[in-house]
Formats: sequence, C-alpha cells, structure tokens
Amino acid sequence: MVIYGVYIVSKSGGLIFNYECNVPKIETEKTFGYPLDLKLNYENKKIVVEFGQRDGVMVGHVLTAVNGIPATGRQLDDGRDVFDIINERENYPLSLKFARLRMTTNEKIFLASMFYPLFAIASQLSPEPRCSGIEVLEADTFKLQCFQTLTGVKFMVVAEPTQAGLDILLRRIYELYSDFALKNPFYSLEMPIRCELFDSNLQNLLEHVEKTGISNV
Amino acid sequence: MSITISAVRPRTSILDKSLSRGRGEVSLSCYALLFSELVQYCQNRVYTVPELQNKLAEMGQEVGVKFIDLLFVRERSYKREIKILNILLFVKSTLWKALFGKEADKLEHANDDERTYYIIEKDPIVNKFISVPKDKGSLNCAVFTAGIIEAVLNGCGFPAKVTAHWHKGTTYMVKFEDSVIARDKQLEDR
Repeated sequence: MVIYGVYIVSKSGGLIFNYECNVPKIETEKTFGYPLDLKLNYENKKIVVEFGQRDGVMVGHVLTAVNGIPATGRQLDDGRDVFDIINERENYPLSLKFARLRMTTNEKIFLASMFYPLFAIASQLSPEPRCSGIEVLEADTFKLQCFQTLTGVKFMVVAEPTQAGLDILLRRIYELYSDFALKNPFYSLEMPIRCELFDSNLQNLLEHVEKTGISNV
Repeated sequence: MSITISAVRPRTSILDKSLSRGRGEVSLSCYALLFSELVQYCQNRVYTVPELQNKLAEMGQEVGVKFIDLLFVRERSYKREIKILNILLFVKSTLWKALFGKEADKLEHANDDERTYYIIEKDPIVNKFISVPKDKGSLNCAVFTAGIIEAVLNGCGFPAKVTAHWHKGTTYMVKFEDSVIARDKQLEDR
C-alpha cells in the first residue's frame, strides 16, 4: 500500500506537478582495498559511480562520505580532495559511503519530458491498431501507471510493484485536478500547479489510500 | 377520415406565465467555472488587488439589486422589512438559501460599535475551489457575495457598506450608516 510519487505532465510535455513521499533511502557503506575496483567520475558537481557495481553499490550512486567524513562534490569537509585520497595507496583500506540522492526538480522535469516522447513512440510502435500509449510500466522495485486524459494531460503514479487499483486512484486524482486546479481563477493551463487546495486534498487522498486501501476511495 | 394537425401553437410569452419557483439546483461545477471566468475577467481589467476587489463587489451589487423584488414577492409575501435585525435575519437565512442552498452560519453584533454587524460563514461556496496565490495578498473572492449583500441592504432602505474578511472562515462586516441606526432607535422607542 505504498505510493512513492505522483506526477502530472501537461499536454505539451512539461512536468506541471510532482509529489514524492515514502522514498526509500538507499545508502551503502563499504570498505575497499587498493586498487579501487569501482570507476568513479566527477560530473554535475558530484562524484558518481560509473562502472563496476557490486554489493549494493549501483551505477549512478553518489559518493557521500570517506572514512566517515562527509563529502560535498570533490571536497571532504576537512578540505582534502577525494580523488587525491583514493589514488594514494597508503590511505587504504578506505571506507566509502554511497547513496542514491533524491532527484532535484530540474532532473524530474527532464525525466518527465523524456517520458512524453516515449509514450508517443509506444503508441505508434504497437502492433495493435489505435493503441493508446504506455499504461503500465513494471520493474523489480516499482510500478508506474499512467492515465492519459482526453485533453492530453498525463497522470502518473509510481508505487510498489504489488499495488493494485492504481487506475482508480488516478481517476480520483484527475477529479481533484479538475476541481481545484481548473476551477481556480489563478491557475493558467500548462503552468506548474501551485494551488494549496489541490496539494492538501491530494495529500489527504494519498493518506486515506495508505490507511484504508484503494477500494474505499 | 380527415385528420387536421394544427401547426399553430398559442404564443405565450414568458411574461404571461406566473412567477414559478423554478428548479433550485445548479451544478456546482458549472457555477464554479463561471465564477472562475468572472474573476479572470475582472483581473484582466485592473492593475491592483484593491481594484480587483472593487470590481468583483460591483458585479455582486448588480446581482443583489435584482434579487430584492424577487425574494420579497416569493418568500415574504410582499411585506417590507423595516427593522435592522429583521433585514439582517432575512439576509442570513432567506437570501443565503436562495443563493447557496443553505443558511449562513452566524450573525453577530459587534461589541464596541453599534453600527457594525458580522455575518460569518466557515466555507463559502464561492471560495470552494479557489486557492489564492501569495502574491495576491489578502484577496478574498467572497467580496462578490459582499457586493450582493450591500446591494440588498441599500435597496431595502438600509444604506450600508459590506466588506469581506478572512476571519473564522469568511466574515462579512456590515457597517450601517448613522441615519439607519438613529431611525431604528426611534422605532424601538415608539
């Protein structure tokens, strides 16, 4: 009964609303010996694992601490550069902590606008004629369900893989959108949704679903 | 056998029919979308928030003026109200029922000022779907309803000013003119 996030993508493909909750925090701390078998890369002001995933440290995880000292970007809190430490043999064995950081809003916008063309491609590639597009995307750790309205707005919800009844939830979110966003005179179409009533009602709905299950909605 | 079908119906215009009650139900969504358009219409024609409030209140007044005769004929069987308390109770119950289908929550008299009365409503229907953004300050779209109340009071012979405030939900502050209070006192003394 766990919902990880709700995303709304407008007709033109931009992310207009995102709400995340219950995101599991993924962190691993491991001790490594020289030479380091992970390939690390410095990009976007973060040190990211590029290759060599093992024992829970996956590609895309960010280095957050060395020997217990937290790191920001390339620098440790005590001023030393991380790559210098990693390249010196005498510093080993080294304890490194990796974590999957939460996405920034920019990254979310970027990923959501990537979903939109995938959706369009899928509806054309389908062997069945008159296909509607991606409805459900299932992975090991999550399930993403998408509902496209008649006007082209896409509502997406990411939940745990065994969650059922997400389409009812999506229709309720659609109702909330048509009530508190579309009837608000201060909301313009295709713009990010900044309506307090919409946010609070959505949170109430998600809490209600988590406590009592989808069939009561 | 000949069948004649008359294609001419007796023409009755709407003025020949009696004042019917009509169906008292309007779809909430329909109303909310119309009101949202009204607010956007006003917003496109003003530059500041107080001007927007004035414009909404004016529109409310045009609605209120038309309500007076209709309500007194239908609900009060043609009898005028002459006391302040009665007209306020009329506003709180009959007018509200005709507009929104329910009565206003509370009617209070101010402790310090005898010209001021408060009508309090926790959840006005006009504001049900509206989230005011921070840059609009203390705009309350219930000034539309305040305009309706003001027009009704002015039209019934109780000149007053009505404003809407964010207090205990929404509070409409009704400020009567001195002449009205003086006249009411005379009525009581008699």
